[in-house]
Amino acid sequence: MTQRLNGFQTAPDAYKAMLGLQDYINQSKLEHSLLELIKIRASQINRCAYCLHMHIADARKAGETEIRIALLSAWEESELFTPRERAVLRWTEELTRLVDRSPSDEAFAELREHFDEKDCVDLSVAIGMINLWNRINCGFRTLHPNDRRREKAAA
Amino acid sequence: MSKRLNPYVTAPETMKPMIALEASIKESGLEHSLIHLMKMRASQINGCAYCLHMHSSDAIKEGESPARLFLLDAWHESALYSPRERAALAWTDALTLISQTHAPDEAYDEVVSHFSPEETVKLTLLIGAINTWNRIAIGFRSAHPHDRPAKSDSTAV
Repeated sequence: MTQRLNGFQTAPDAYKAMLGLQDYINQSKLEHSLLELIKIRASQINRCAYCLHMHIADARKAGETEIRIALLSAWEESELFTPRERAVLRWTEELTRLVDRSPSDEAFAELREHFDEKDCVDLSVAIGMINLWNRINCGFRTLHPNDRRREKAAA
Repeated sequence: MSKRLNPYVTAPETMKPMIALEASIKESGLEHSLIHLMKMRASQINGCAYCLHMHSSDAIKEGESPARLFLLDAWHESALYSPRERAALAWTDALTLISQTHAPDEAYDEVVSHFSPEETVKLTLLIGAINTWNRIAIGFRSAHPHDRPAKSDSTAV
C-alpha cells in the first residue's frame, strides 16, 4: 500500500479551519479518555488504520488499558465501560453509521441522561470530526508510523 | 418528528469553528456549482433533509438547473454531469460510504485525472465536512424551514 498524497504538505492552508475546530473540541471539558474512545471506535467502523494507530497510541499514553482497547469493538457485551461511556459509544456508532439508520430516540435519550445539551453538541461534533479525519486518511491512504518493534522484527 | 436540540442556541461557541470551516470551503476556489452538487450528494446518501433543503436552495439561487438536482441520485446514469463533476461525485460517494468502499483506487485515479493535488485535498475536506454537518443536523433532528406545510392525512386524496 502506498500513500496517495500528503494533504498537509499539498494544501496546508486548507487544513487551518479544520485544525481550529479540532483544537476547540480538544479543549472542551469532555474527558480525554472519552474523546479517545470515540475516535478509536469510529476509526474501527470506518476502518482507518492511520487514525486507529494514532488514537490507540494517544490513549495508551494517557493511561488507557490494553484490555479496554482490545474489547472496544464489543463494548456492548462488556462490563469494562461505564454507563456514561456506553451512552457515548452508542451515539458514536449511530452517528457514524448514519447511512444504515437515522440515530434513534433511545440513543439520544440515553446520551441526555449522562450529558447536558452543550456536551451533547460537543460530543456530536467530536464524532463528526473523527469521521472527517477517517475520510481524509483513508482517502489518501495516509501511512501510520511503523512502531519500533515492527521495524526491529523486519530488520 | 421533533427537533432534539438547536446547537446554535445550545453551544454557539462550538458552532463558531464549524462555521469557520464552512467558510474556508466556500472560499477554497472550487467552483460553487460543484461544491453544491457534492454537498447535495453526501446529504442524499446520509439522508439529511436539513442539509438537502439548504444546499438545493443555495444551488438554485446560484443558477443550478432543477433537472441536475433531481437526477443527482442517479448521476452515474445521466449525461447531465461533466467528466470533472462525475469524478468529484464518484469520490463523494466513495468517501461518504467509506466503511463499505474503503476509497478504491479507481475513484481516486479518476479524481486526480481531473483535479490538481491541491484541489483533491480541498474536495476531500469538503466531503468530510459535509459528512460532519450531516451528523450534526440528523443527530439533533434539525428542522428545515417549511416553505409550505405538508397536507394533513385528512386532506390527502
